[in-house]
Parts: sequence; structure tokens; C-alpha cells
Amino acid sequence: MTLVRVAPHLEQDVDLSKTYDAVVVGSGAAGGMAAHVLTTRGLKVLMLEAGKKLPIEQELRSMQWPYDHPRRGDAPPGYHSLSFNEYTIRTPPYAKNSTAKHVMSYVGGWGGSDYVKNILVDEKDHPYTGTKYAWVRARALGGKTNIWGRLALRLSDYDFKAKTHDGYGDDWPISYADLQPYYDKVDLYLGISGVKENLPHLPDSLFQRPNKLTSSEVKLREGLKKMGRVLTPYRAGVTTDGLKHNRYRSKCYGRGACDRRPGGCDIHAAFDSPTGLIYPAMDTGNLTVRPNSIAHEVLVDKNTGRARGVAFLDSATRKSYEAKAKVVIVAASTLESARLLLLSRSPQHPNGIGNSSGHVGHNFCEHVMGPGVTGLVKDLVGKPSTLDDGRPGGFYIPRFRNLKDRQPGFVRGYGFEGGGGFSIFPGNAFGTPGFGAQFKREVRDHAGAFIGMGGFGEVLSRYENYVDLDPDTKDAWGIPTLRFHYQFGDNERKMCEDMVVAGREMLEAAGIEVIGTDEKMLTEGWSIHELGTARMGSDPKTSVLNQFQQSHDVKNLFVVDGSSHVSASCQNPTWTIMALAWRSCEYLADEFKKGNV
Amino acid sequence: MTDATHPEGESLSRREMLEVTAAALAAPLVKLGPAAAPPALQAVSKFFTAPELALLDELAELIIPADAHSPGARAAGVAAYIDFRLSDSAEPEQQTKWRSGLAAVEALSKELNNGQAFLQASADQRVAVLTRMAAGEHDPKTPAEHFFQDLKGWTVRAYYTSKVGIHADQEYKGNVYQRGDYAGFDAT
Repeated sequence: MTLVRVAPHLEQDVDLSKTYDAVVVGSGAAGGMAAHVLTTRGLKVLMLEAGKKLPIEQELRSMQWPYDHPRRGDAPPGYHSLSFNEYTIRTPPYAKNSTAKHVMSYVGGWGGSDYVKNILVDEKDHPYTGTKYAWVRARALGGKTNIWGRLALRLSDYDFKAKTHDGYGDDWPISYADLQPYYDKVDLYLGISGVKENLPHLPDSLFQRPNKLTSSEVKLREGLKKMGRVLTPYRAGVTTDGLKHNRYRSKCYGRGACDRRPGGCDIHAAFDSPTGLIYPAMDTGNLTVRPNSIAHEVLVDKNTGRARGVAFLDSATRKSYEAKAKVVIVAASTLESARLLLLSRSPQHPNGIGNSSGHVGHNFCEHVMGPGVTGLVKDLVGKPSTLDDGRPGGFYIPRFRNLKDRQPGFVRGYGFEGGGGFSIFPGNAFGTPGFGAQFKREVRDHAGAFIGMGGFGEVLSRYENYVDLDPDTKDAWGIPTLRFHYQFGDNERKMCEDMVVAGREMLEAAGIEVIGTDEKMLTEGWSIHELGTARMGSDPKTSVLNQFQQSHDVKNLFVVDGSSHVSASCQNPTWTIMALAWRSCEYLADEFKKGNV
Repeated sequence: MTDATHPEGESLSRREMLEVTAAALAAPLVKLGPAAAPPALQAVSKFFTAPELALLDELAELIIPADAHSPGARAAGVAAYIDFRLSDSAEPEQQTKWRSGLAAVEALSKELNNGQAFLQASADQRVAVLTRMAAGEHDPKTPAEHFFQDLKGWTVRAYYTSKVGIHADQEYKGNVYQRGDYAGFDAT
């Protein structure tokens, strides 16, 4: 079944003799959005992506039945995915001394490692050092948007003005009113499904039709209403009604494979950067894309100190090239962007470009996860199987802590992601004891009766959590790697303790029997929501970028990904990354036309 | 009974539960007598010897047997799938583990059943062996108890990802194009 048009052809030979208006490093949510906005405004853009252009539909095979795959979705022999234990017991570089031929991050272990083995980086080629950190990286056109979880949430002034609210950290240099029009643009251009809830701390999007709830989720929603809390259908960055302006993406048919693979959607109903942003940008005639291009330095004009382009290696040939541009836009992901800035040392920028503040790599923050609860809805035991997993996700419970109340143990808040009902694999089979006919019947009778949820909490932005360059370790291309100096603190620990208490309390309020709790925090990095390493701010001494993600030091340098975030909030960052990039690139296009950059 | 996934919520003791399980198993098995792998299974053997594969096939079927609702592990090809995965494995220690695990089952059968090999033992005697192996499910100590974890885990994986497991047993409704309204309930 062909629902989408074929991707535009990528030129083999990119013209590097000419000077582009802008060079964009990275092709994920941020880089894709920069390309979309700038090419629409008529700028000539070159995009460099470190990874390959994959035949992504063949990689994802979203509807392949497990039994039609020789290893039921597992990667071939020789691939190993890192486990929680490995991340916990050992320190990076995790692939060092591994006997496996290829080592993937933990995402490969979700089930379906064969579908992501070419999207995730091989940890053997991409070492890092320092403190424990589960760093998940995707090097391919589109980056992590190929496999993202799709939960698409807005931030509010509880986040942008968090310091004003509770005194901790720093406010953002923008407010919700500044970003709201751009959230709207992202919603309309890319499509988002959800239900309006009118919450001040989780503003509604311009939603397409929502995904539905299962009966156990309805029960929990009703129970939470009595507590003044909200369970809302998963707000998914998925077009459920279709997009007339995009010929590369189908609407969502509720096939549900998104629920049992690490995210990918082969009809692109779920947003990914190539079909959502990059191919349409190529259709303007203004975008040139060069994959296999590992950027390792932002080049500087010796006379002016301004950015003049980007040096990169071809990942296959290892040859060096320079891309010339009037503006350099870094969108390589929070940690890779910080690495690139730090690598770009010159007499004018001895600590790395854009780093006169010394804040590049610092204020590193993310979401903490791990704690959660599982419940059993007794009335559902023995009920016939129903179609419960034909949707991008289950539900989201927005933050309820430290809004009007003040928690004694911690500042900020957390939300829960969860789901209940039948899925393609009865996970309860692993936990049901015994064997034989009774075991088999129990697995069957209970398979759809569980509901589970896990917290995602704000990790406070702290200067002392940072990355820098390791002077001794290099990646497979000879480029210095990152060294982590990053740990959760007491606020995160207290918050995680509260997640378990609150989770239990909510299931109980809905009359759902709590059958298990997870109390452990997962390794730093597990949420894949790293943020903050080149934060925005109005003071050039304590921030890297201004409110338009423009370097305080170098006016023609922009960093438009999650590294610009001032605090992590507890909402998933992708939609905010794209709204900010849209806003900044409109500003950039205006300034460019005026000759100001 | 799923309480038992979390021991603190267990309503039956582990011992009582296993007795119930063993009783439920005994009845349909009496008819089978000494089992051997069907010829088709032996023909596809890639890693195990034919006797090993026959033993694995019987163990898997004891864990997930055919019942009135759906076929069991044998019909789902569980043993052949495990055999293929081990033949395909890049980790020799996995292969060693399975081979010695099956040997531990034989040793336990001989110990419990007057020197009888597992497939020569009666249906009741086979269930008794597996019951002993399963006794340490949450805290395995003996080689046979450790092997039970791998055996059950892989039987579960193989069965519930098979056509039989997904369609006949679970009657899974998804992985289809929903052309109209999505299934489920509105948030009201």
C-alpha cells in the first residue's frame, strides 16, 4: 500500500564552491525546522547531516508481524544493546572491551532492534567518557525524529517564568505569549492530535482528532477527576486528519505498530523531520542536503571573528571539506551542538565559538524517569481481546505538583505517561509464575487488564552539571569526544520518591488495585531529553544565546536545538524545540533581508 | 492470580499455586505417554541434537500446552525457533548454557524418577520434574532452577510472537488499517 510520495533525490555532488546563505548542521527537529523556515523565506540553505540517508520505510517495516521476521524483530548476531545494568555498573565508554561487533544504546533493547540498528549510532564508533550517562544518538537524515516517542507538549509560563514562580534557577528570556504563535504554526504545519483540557500549565494545541482511550484509561480518568487531576489522551505529534499541504505524509490509520517499535512510522503520519520538513523544503528549490557529513568545526573569519562556514569530514571517504555560508546554524542535538561549539577554537574564540561566557556545555538538564506504578483492573480480567494499541500512545497526566501548592521536598514537577489495555505481546507472561494450562489461561485472561504509568520529572538546570571535551578520547573519525560531569541531585531524588506515592494514590483513587511499583531512577540520560548546554538569556555573561537563539558573541551564529533551553520543564521538548526554531529563523530571515547578520 | 507477579500481593502461597498448576496439567498429559519430537522437527534441527530438541519441544509444550482455547508451544514451533536462535547466536556461552540446562533436566529426572530419562518418564513424573525446576522461579539456586528461567522466558517470547500465540491464543485485534473511527473511548 503506497500512501506517500517518493522522497526527492539527493544530489551526489554538492557544490561547495559557492557561499550559501545559511549552512545548517543537523537534520532533526531543529535543523529540519530551520531549513523549512529559511527556504520558505527564500534563503539558499545547505544542510549537513552526519548520518546516512536511509531507505527509512524499509528500515521501519512498521506492520511486519513478529513471526514474519526471522528473529522476531531482533537484530542479527553480533549486535548488542546496552542494558540498565551495564549503564549502572560500568562507566563510559560503555562499548569499550565489548566482544559484540556492534553496540547500540538501550533503545535497541526495546524489542525491534533490527528496525533501528542502522538509525542508532554504533557506540563503538562514538565513545564518550566521564560520569554514567545513557546517551542515545541517531545518525541518519532526520536524526532522532525517525524513532521519537511523539508526545508533543507545550510549555507554559510555569516553565518560562519558573524562577519568578519558585525562586530557583533562571527565567527564560521569552514568555508563553512570545512562543504561542509559533506553537500554533507548528501544530498546523505538522499536525498534532489531542483533546483540549484548558489547563494553564499545559496549554492546548490546535488539535486534529484525538486518539481514543481504553476502558481502563477511562476508569483512571474518571478517578482523577475527583482529585482535580487530569488524564488526557496522548498528545501526539501525529497527523490524524492528514495534511493537505504535505504530499510525503499519510494521515494516521491507527495501525499501532508505533506502540511496539522504537517509534518509527513508515507512512509518516507520525512527524519525522525528513517528510515533515526537509523534503518540502527541498521542493522549494532552495535546500541542498549533504548526508554523511560530520561537522567538526565552525570556521571563523580571521579579521572579523564572524562565522564563515563549517568544516566537515565525509563519513565514508574521511576527506575534509569546507562549506561556506553567510550564517551558520547549529542544530546537531543538545550535546553534539555543545561539542561542536567547544571544538571550534580559534584565536578569537579560544574557549570555543560563542563561549565567552564559559557556559557552553553547562546548565545541562533533562528529565528524570524510572518511578512508576502498575495496576490491575479486576473487572477486565477474562474479557475478550479488544483493539487497544492502534494509536501512537496511551495517555498523559500533566503536572500537578508545585502549581498552587509548595511541596516540602522539591521544586518543580513531573507528569506521567502511561497506557492500559491489550497489545501485541502480553508482557504479563514474563511475570506470571508457574507453567502449564493454568499459566496459559492466566496470561490470556489478564493480558488486557493492566494499566501502567511512569513519571517524567524536571531535572534542575545547574551550572555544575556539564560536558566538556575529553583531551584523550576520540571517536572513529579522530574527533575529540564529550566527557560527562553530570549527576542527578537531591531535588530529583525527592521528586522520584513522590512519583511513586502519587502514582499509587491515583490508581487507588480510581479503584484500581496497585500490583507493583518501580522505585528506581533510571540512569541519567534515559529520557533522551537532554537540554540546556547553550542556554538563552539576556545577560551575555551567564548565557550563550539571546532570545532568538543567536550567539551573543557571534551575530551570524545560531544554535536552534534543545541546547538553548533555559530549564527542562517536565514536558517533552520536541514541539518547543520546533516552535523556538521557527521563531528564531523568522527573526533571522528578517535580519538577513535587512543586511543585519 | 496475577497478584503473584508481586509476591507481597500473593493470595495463594507459591506451594499451593504450584500444586494447583500441577494438577491442572496432569489430566491432559496422561494420554501422551513417552513423547518424541515429530519427524518434521528433527529435520529442521540446526543446533540441538535430535534427542535434545525432542526434550526441549516437550518442555515447551508443558509450559504452554495446547488447551481447548488454542494450540500450544509445540504447534507454535517454539523449540524450532529456540534452536534456530541458538544456531544463529554469536554468543557461545548461550549455546553452552542451553545444552547444560537440558542436561540438568535429564539429571533431575533421573534423580526424581528412579533413573528414568525425562521423555521416558510418565506424564506425572515429567510434571514433577518441571514443578521442581519452577520452585525457584523467583530465586533460582540449582542449575535446573536457573535453566527454568531461560526456558520459560524464551518459550514465552517464542510462543507469544508466533502466529498461534498472537492470533489463536491472544486473538490480537491490532496491526490493521483502521479506516473509520479509531477503536476505543472518547475522553469526555
